[in-house]
Amino acid sequence: MVPILLGVVTIIFVLLRLSGDPVRLYLPEDATHQQIAQVRSSLGLDRPIYVQYGIYIARLVKGDLGESIRYRNQDVAAIVMERLPATLELAGASLLVAILISLPLGTLAALNRNRLPDLLSSAVAMLGRAMPNFWVGIMLILFFGIRLEWFPVSGRNGIGSLVLPALTLGASMAALLMRLVRSGMLEVMSQDYVRTAKAKGLPWRTVVVKHGLRNALISYVTVLGLEVAGLMAGAVITEQVFAWPGIGRLAIQAISSLDMSIVQAVVILASVVVMVANLVVDLMYALIDPRVRYA
Amino acid sequence: MPDARRSRRRPVLKRMALVLIGLALVAFAGAQRTLTVAQTVDIPGFDPHNHGLTAVEAVITNVFDYLLFRDANGDIQPALATGYEQVDDLTWRFTLRDGVVWHDGEPFTATDVKFSLERVARDSSLFEHDSFQQIAEVEIVNDHEILIHTTGPDPVLLNRVSRKGADIVPKHVIDAVGWEGFSVNPVGTGPFRFVEWVRDDRVVLEAFPGHWRGAPTWDRLVFRAVPEDATRVGELLTGNVDIAVNFPTQDVERTRGAGAADVVSQPTTRIMMLLFNTADGKATSDPRVREAVELAIDKELLVEVVAGGFGVPVAARVSPGVDMAPMKYYDRNDYNPERAQELLAEAGYGPGDLTIALQGPSGRYPGDADTLAVVQVMLKEVGVNSTLESLEWSAYNSRIWGADNVENIALIGLANSLFDGWFALRSLPCDGAYAKRTNWCNPEFDKLLTEAEFNLDLDERARQIEAAFDIVAVERPMIALFQIDALVGVSNQITWQPRPDEMIWAFDIQPK
Repeated sequence: MVPILLGVVTIIFVLLRLSGDPVRLYLPEDATHQQIAQVRSSLGLDRPIYVQYGIYIARLVKGDLGESIRYRNQDVAAIVMERLPATLELAGASLLVAILISLPLGTLAALNRNRLPDLLSSAVAMLGRAMPNFWVGIMLILFFGIRLEWFPVSGRNGIGSLVLPALTLGASMAALLMRLVRSGMLEVMSQDYVRTAKAKGLPWRTVVVKHGLRNALISYVTVLGLEVAGLMAGAVITEQVFAWPGIGRLAIQAISSLDMSIVQAVVILASVVVMVANLVVDLMYALIDPRVRYA
Repeated sequence: MPDARRSRRRPVLKRMALVLIGLALVAFAGAQRTLTVAQTVDIPGFDPHNHGLTAVEAVITNVFDYLLFRDANGDIQPALATGYEQVDDLTWRFTLRDGVVWHDGEPFTATDVKFSLERVARDSSLFEHDSFQQIAEVEIVNDHEILIHTTGPDPVLLNRVSRKGADIVPKHVIDAVGWEGFSVNPVGTGPFRFVEWVRDDRVVLEAFPGHWRGAPTWDRLVFRAVPEDATRVGELLTGNVDIAVNFPTQDVERTRGAGAADVVSQPTTRIMMLLFNTADGKATSDPRVREAVELAIDKELLVEVVAGGFGVPVAARVSPGVDMAPMKYYDRNDYNPERAQELLAEAGYGPGDLTIALQGPSGRYPGDADTLAVVQVMLKEVGVNSTLESLEWSAYNSRIWGADNVENIALIGLANSLFDGWFALRSLPCDGAYAKRTNWCNPEFDKLLTEAEFNLDLDERARQIEAAFDIVAVERPMIALFQIDALVGVSNQITWQPRPDEMIWAFDIQPK
């Protein structure tokens, strides 16, 4: 884990320093050369890149993530960590939305192959995947936030404000997952052991849930794990549209203003989240498929 | 029996009514008048000397005070200083207001003024330092009188101490908690005191009853950060916010039609400009070509097309409220395509012979990319071909503007935070900030500008500044296109006309 993190940090450190001069972005358009030089020097950006890298790594080892250009005199680790609950809340709710939509609809589609429920859910899935996040978000705001006034338009203020962003982020994920459940179920339901289960006279629900769905879930869980990483990316746009104060919004702002230490901290955090998600997926395999446990 | 029942019911009803009235009264007494403002960005913290952004000062100006402040008309008024006089060319005396207290109850003194102004004047790492380095020292005469010594004669010192960066902060608090603590939990003398800051979400302030102007009308002031245009408009339409700044032009009619809010415009000091690279060998080195470009642009039509009519065509970087800006250049459109074609012919270019590069940011200013696109079409009309390069701000700043890499023409929008005519030209001298972009140098211009910088004879200074403006208007290292109006969505529940300095000063805003 540590070598991967070090690699990620090094790549992002170099890329950020190649992508422009952050000092100019913070000063007015007509800032004097003297002023630019003074601020650059105060941030240590006038030193050679390898010196900056050495200092950064030395500080990182001690848990110091450096100094933010935007949030001067404030602790970078605290700034990033305080956003985590908002993003986790959104990601958790979106996952829930995606699972609640994809499992029943995917199963329904598979059990009614090539019939109306299947065609309808396929159409919905295609739409859900094709519509960009920011557009879905704005449409939900216009309809449920402004016209019907059922949910808050933006911000993070109680459970109500979570509904629209979670729907936005969960919808596109649900579309993909639904197709996975459908294909997984179709494959599993034609297996011999399902035929045996049916022949034994087991109740239809038991056949579908215990013998069918459970076996179809392996690829589902894999993709779910990968989608957690995708959630971090999706959150960037969704958080921006809904003014949700999470990691995604912090990242957008930091990237557009080249606030290097914040970007680096967000990337470290995102890498850890992805690594943990992969670990959880591996553990889930064992839970779902006993063969993995015994192997 | 029915009577008996009625008589039993009556006291119950009476009691219920009393309880309801009581509850209503409690609710009324507890009802807070809250003003909610949606901005595009959040503050980076409460260090007033180190942010550099107008949108941030618009929030924190309600927490801190300057020595002097500008009212809604742009006139300088007393604030923490009740009076001032110029003692000599390098010294100003300020009398400080009696009985002012900080939000923590401690008295405000001259020590706080010395601490605040000397910090921003001496610490070169601060974003606001550049506008205050002219202050050499703040001398305390007594608890309520100070002398400001300047490094040279400073005709705009009063403008300096009434703008962003001049906020007075409490020395005793910063000594105790440091800037790290102060940035997230500030103490000021302003009309509102700090309650809560959730980064990228909201800043909550509450009325400070002990404020020297008296208590403000609003009990609470909430600034929300809502970056997306459509979301900000939505929050205004549903009544969740009272003010939405940076209002998108395309939503003006829809919002007015909805009936819950109005959209008001306010001229700002920001002017959209085109900078020319006049270096030898460049197509734009010929002054006739630069003049032809200006005459080819119908600035009135440009304002109409890219800013929905919310702006004013200008022929120089001037706007109302900017001291000593020659207003003969304001509201002027010198569009003359025939003359432009003649000038191009004189310079040796027939129709289609000349190709120039247009470069500019996209998304930095309202309609910036569209502005360049329209200019391209207008240039085509007089036979000038052009290439167009619109880049996202950080890329534009890194590769073109900040890298002094202007090929021919670069678009930029410039505000005048000092409200001074000299300030509008200060980047153009031979060794100025734009020298490597324009490659333009005029010693006569430099002489006029240097004299104006230190001239305390204000009439003569105005003449020098006007003469400098005239040189720029003739030689055109830069041309001005139009002044941008700020568009602000305002709920029908309040009365407010936005200010030219873009501050959201809660004392100006009244509930209906």
